[in-house]
Amino acid sequence: MTLLEIKNLKAKIGDTEILHGIDLTIDRGEVHAIMGPNGSGKSTLSYVLSGREGYEVTDGEILLDGESVLDMEADERARAGMFLAFQYPVELPGVGGMAFLRAAVNARLREAGKDEVDQLAFVKMVRAKAKELGVGDEMLKRAVNVGFSGGEKKRYEILQMALLEPSIAVLDETDSGLDVDALRIVSEGVNALRGEERGMLVITHYQRLLSHIVPDHVHILAGGRIIASGDKSLALEVEENGYAGIINAA
Amino acid sequence: MQPDLLRDSAALCRQAKDNFIANALPTAKTEDWIYTRLSDLAVNPADKVADEVASENAVLSFASGWLISGADALPAGVSLTDMQDESLLAEFAAHLPDDHFLSDLSLGHATGAYVIDVAAGAHVETPLQLVFSGGQSGQSAHPLIYVRVGEGAACQIAEIHNAEASLSAPVMVMTLADSANVDHMKCQKDDLQSHHLALTIFAIAEKAQINSFTAAIGSALGRHETHAHLNGENCDVTLSSLYLGRGTQHQDMTTRMLHHMPNCTSNQVIRGVLDDTARGVFQGKVLVARDAQKTDGQQMSRALLLSRKAEADAKPELEIYADDVVCSHGATVGELDETHLFYLKSRGIQEAQARNMLIEAFLLDALEIVRHDQLSEILEHAVHDWMNETLS
Repeated sequence: MTLLEIKNLKAKIGDTEILHGIDLTIDRGEVHAIMGPNGSGKSTLSYVLSGREGYEVTDGEILLDGESVLDMEADERARAGMFLAFQYPVELPGVGGMAFLRAAVNARLREAGKDEVDQLAFVKMVRAKAKELGVGDEMLKRAVNVGFSGGEKKRYEILQMALLEPSIAVLDETDSGLDVDALRIVSEGVNALRGEERGMLVITHYQRLLSHIVPDHVHILAGGRIIASGDKSLALEVEENGYAGIINAA
Repeated sequence: MQPDLLRDSAALCRQAKDNFIANALPTAKTEDWIYTRLSDLAVNPADKVADEVASENAVLSFASGWLISGADALPAGVSLTDMQDESLLAEFAAHLPDDHFLSDLSLGHATGAYVIDVAAGAHVETPLQLVFSGGQSGQSAHPLIYVRVGEGAACQIAEIHNAEASLSAPVMVMTLADSANVDHMKCQKDDLQSHHLALTIFAIAEKAQINSFTAAIGSALGRHETHAHLNGENCDVTLSSLYLGRGTQHQDMTTRMLHHMPNCTSNQVIRGVLDDTARGVFQGKVLVARDAQKTDGQQMSRALLLSRKAEADAKPELEIYADDVVCSHGATVGELDETHLFYLKSRGIQEAQARNMLIEAFLLDALEIVRHDQLSEILEHAVHDWMNETLS
């Protein structure tokens, strides 16, 4: 069943058009990967999907479960089931980690017409999920992302994803800045969240992430357009021949 | 009949009053008064207020600038004297800057004047609270407070201002003898129609430490001028503040960190949050004298504007005559960080809640430096009250 439908999406920052018409359909249960060279529009796509201010959609449509999200603000999209794992998670000095996680989960629960989660039960649940991702109690007590290493920040993103249980997760260069061990932990966390109810869009520059999180479909983004699509073998082709061959062929 | 008032009897006070009258109010041309304009200043010092019977433990209560209770409930090691003695007054006044508007104003119109002594070596566990309240419209309060902290003594002193007089102009001088250690907290929540013009002088001797925090929340116009004289080697001074403004409030935080001796450390963190058409001013001078080698002086001022019509002015100044020092200062004025807001919103948190979380974080982060639990609790309450009133 169709989860996310992107149709002829064009977007600009300021006066510069970055996305020149993107078409992409993700069904529930599928993991799609978007690969592309630097400057191809990968991060712009992730911000446009999640509703960041300053990214203006000039044409096209984004449908989540058949509903347009274009008029929704970032927080509405998140409550509708959209999740962005940031390439560079933001440090929030003074914002306590637990209070932040609880505010996010409660926002989602309220939207669904459910009761807010009890504080004690919440702490228990967070600790259990955090443990699986190697996020220690010490990290949970700190302000959001403050003093975290690169790997810790990425694990914290995946922890948020696990708590919010989005229907569509966009992972923006989740592998950047990770060493081999951290990459494995983060990938295991992501794989644990794969399922029939959820779609994922994994954005990456390198193939290495995709040997851990094996995608159902791979798309190559270059110059603001998807120029090739295929299965996981397309990622291997990039690994062997670089982007140039595919770009030239297109 | 009223007893002789210090302001009438003491030559120093009469002289200050003459200076005050001769100089009139500061103008835009007066040094350090570029950003803060005074008009309609109700200088009408209150007469002596009758004592109250009940005293709370370690609380000195002042009404209209006069001590009304608490002298009999001081913790061990702390004593209080009325500053009637002209030699005490002279000792106090010797710490005040010359030709200074705030000094002349309150010396010349003094209400109650008191000396608080903390005995050498005393470790006073209970924070001593000075609560300034009462007063009426059209009246002014000019308490003179002289705190002498003895050698090796340790104490916490909190000033809590809830006054309703038209003008509250306290002058406090606090001297720290060698190796004294003081936590000082001031929470200014005067009536929103009033003026609060305060002068605070710290004179710090060798190896002494002071950790001072001022929160300016009340009054229509507040000027909190603080001078710290680092008079001995190896002093450690923290002089931080938080100012909050909404409506047409004006908060002026003016500090002078005066490094006279080598090997001292000073640190200042100044935070402001301004809404509506409120205005905030931070003027911070760090002076490092020629002899004050190995000085480490840091100063950072950040103002957060919640409205396009709010204004913050920052004037940090370094004046350094020594050549082997580490000093830095910085000042920023801005709105909430868009990337911070987006991060919260991308997690489903609504804009209004996200903004409140970030403002609260900005404010409470500033209180981190307050070491004493009871004092930081008082401040946290005051900050939360302000947030509830401002952001609802």
